[in-house]
Amino acid sequence: MSLAIECQKLGKRFHQYQKAAGVWGSIQSFWKRQIIAKDAVATFDLEVKRGEIIGLLGPNGAGKTTLMKMFTGIIVPSSGVLHVLGYKPHLRQVAFRRKIALVMGQKSQLWWDIPAMDSFLLLQKYYEIDEPQFKARLSRLTDLLNVGPLLEVHVRKLSLGERMKMELIASLLHQPEIIFLDEPTIGLDLVAQQKIRDFIREYQRETKTTVILTSHYMADVAALCSRIVLILGGEKRFDGSIDTFESILGREKFVSLSFLEPVNPKHPSWQGLDCQWSKDYCKVDLRIAESELRERTIAILQNFPVIDFTTEKLPIERVMNTLLQNPELLSKEATTA
Amino acid sequence: MISKELAKWLQTIKIGWSNQLAYKLNFVLLVIGPTLVFFFIKYNLWTAIYQLQDVDTIQGYNLSQMLSYQVWVMIVGFLAQSYNSMNLAEDIRLGRISSYLIYPFGFWSFHTANFFATQLIQFIVAAITLAFSAVFFDFVSLPTLTSLLSGLLIALLVGLLWFQISFIIGLVAFWLEETWVLRVIFTTITQFFSGAIIPLELYPDWLRDWLFYSPFPYLTFVPVRFFLGDQSFGLAPTIAIIGFWIAVTLALGRFIWSRGLKLYTAAGM
Repeated sequence: MSLAIECQKLGKRFHQYQKAAGVWGSIQSFWKRQIIAKDAVATFDLEVKRGEIIGLLGPNGAGKTTLMKMFTGIIVPSSGVLHVLGYKPHLRQVAFRRKIALVMGQKSQLWWDIPAMDSFLLLQKYYEIDEPQFKARLSRLTDLLNVGPLLEVHVRKLSLGERMKMELIASLLHQPEIIFLDEPTIGLDLVAQQKIRDFIREYQRETKTTVILTSHYMADVAALCSRIVLILGGEKRFDGSIDTFESILGREKFVSLSFLEPVNPKHPSWQGLDCQWSKDYCKVDLRIAESELRERTIAILQNFPVIDFTTEKLPIERVMNTLLQNPELLSKEATTA
Repeated sequence: MISKELAKWLQTIKIGWSNQLAYKLNFVLLVIGPTLVFFFIKYNLWTAIYQLQDVDTIQGYNLSQMLSYQVWVMIVGFLAQSYNSMNLAEDIRLGRISSYLIYPFGFWSFHTANFFATQLIQFIVAAITLAFSAVFFDFVSLPTLTSLLSGLLIALLVGLLWFQISFIIGLVAFWLEETWVLRVIFTTITQFFSGAIIPLELYPDWLRDWLFYSPFPYLTFVPVRFFLGDQSFGLAPTIAIIGFWIAVTLALGRFIWSRGLKLYTAAGM
C-alpha cells in the first residue's frame, strides 16, 4: 500500500525582515533592512501510512503549521523531497486538491454572511460531487454532528462550536483521502471539544481517512492519535506511540493518600518519593516508580492510618510540559522509537 | 466537463448575490445613494455655474446637455465601475487565500465570478436609476436603441477592464498591508481623467490628445458619449482599444498574481 505522506530531509527557510520598533524604525526600514533567514522546518523525515491518525505536537512557532502548509501545497518547500498521496503538493494539481482537506481552527473557510448550506452547495460544485452522494454525505455528517437545524442559519450567528462543526462538514463533503486538522478544537469549551473529538474518531473509524492533527490540547491527541510526532525548533524530536512517549520520563505513578490523623513526614517510608504534604500532614501527593509501586504502597498502608488512596499514571500533559522545559531529556530518545 | 465548470461559476455567482444582498439596508443605500448625491450636488452645482457665469453653453454643452451628461456618468458608473477590490485585498491580508489554494477552483475565477454577480445587480440598479431619471428629469432623454445597445456593450467591456484594474490594485495587498489608499488615489485620478467630473472637451486639446493614449477616457467619457448618441468614436475601433487594455491588464494581473503568490507562499502568512 502506498504511503499517504512521505518526506525526506524536508526543510523550509523563511526570510524575514527585521525592523526596529517605533516610527524611526519604520523610516529606517525603507532603506536599511536586515534580512534574517530562519529555518522553520529542517531536515524533517516522515512516513505516514494510509489510514493512520497522527498527532503533530509542539509549542507555538515549532513549525507545525509550516509543515501543514507544505503538506497541503500552500507553501513551497525550500529543500528535501515531499510526496502526499503520491503528488508533489506545491504543484497544486487539481487532482491532488480534490483529495485533500484542511481545517484551520483559527480561520474560517465558510462565507460569513450566508448560511452554511450555501457554502456546502458551492463546495458541491467545486468538488463535482453528484447530487445523491452529496445528499447522503451531508445527511450522514449533519446527523453525526447533530447540526441539521443549523444549516440555514447565517454562519456569523453560529457559536464557535457550531461553526467548527460546519467547517468540518465543509471539509469532508468531498470525502478527502487525507485531512489536515490544524487546531480544530481551539477556543472551544470542554463539551464541544469532546464532541468534535468523538466525531473525528467516529468518522475516521468509518472511512479510514488519513488524519494529520495538530492541537495544543493533549486530550485531543491522547483520545485520537495512536502515534505522535513531536517537533521542537523545526526538527523532529520524537516519533512513536503515545505509550512510548509517556514513558520517556520513566514509568511513574501519581499516588495521593489521606490519613485519619497527622503522620510523621520524616519517616523513612517517604524517602525519594517527591512528597507534597498538606499543611496538617493529613494528606500527601507523591510519585512512585512503577517497578516499586507494590512494595512501597504495602509498606505505607501497613505503617500509617490510610483512609483514602488514589493512583494514576503521569498525565501526558505533564510529560509534555516537562519535555518542553527540558528538551535535553529527548536527546537520548531522539527521533524514531 | 464544460457544464461542470459552468456550474462552478454559476454557483459562485449565486453566492456572490447572497453575500451582497445579506445587508438589505446597505443595498438600498447603494441604489439610492448616487442618485441623491447627483440631485443635491451635481444638479445644483451645474445650475449655479451656468447662472453665475451667465453663459448658455460651455464648450458646446448647454445646461441640460451638461446635466444629461452627468446622469449618464452616473449610469456608466453603475454599469462599469462597480467592482470593489476590498474583499480581494482582505482575502489576501487575512490569509484567506489559503482556502482558494486548496479548493479546486482558483482565486481569480472566484473573484471574476463575483464580479459578474456584482455586474448583474448593478445592471438592475442602473436600469432603475435610468427609468427614474427619465421620468423626473426633463433633461434626460432616452437614447435610441442603437446608442443604448452600443453604449451597453461598451460599458460592459469597460466593466471588465475596471474589474481587472481593481483586481491588480487588490493584489498589491501582497506587498502593502492596506490598499485602500491606493484605491482612493486611483479613483480620484480616474474621476479627473476619465471625464467623470467634467466632460473631456473642457480640457486643453493637448491633454485630451494625450489622455486618449491611456485607458482613462474609456472608463467614463467614451461610453457616456455612446449613450448620448455620439457615434464618432466608431464601435469597432472602441471595442478594439478597450479589448487591448483588457488584454494588457489581464497579462499584468497574471504576472503580479504569480509574483505575489510566490511572496505569499514564501512568507507563509
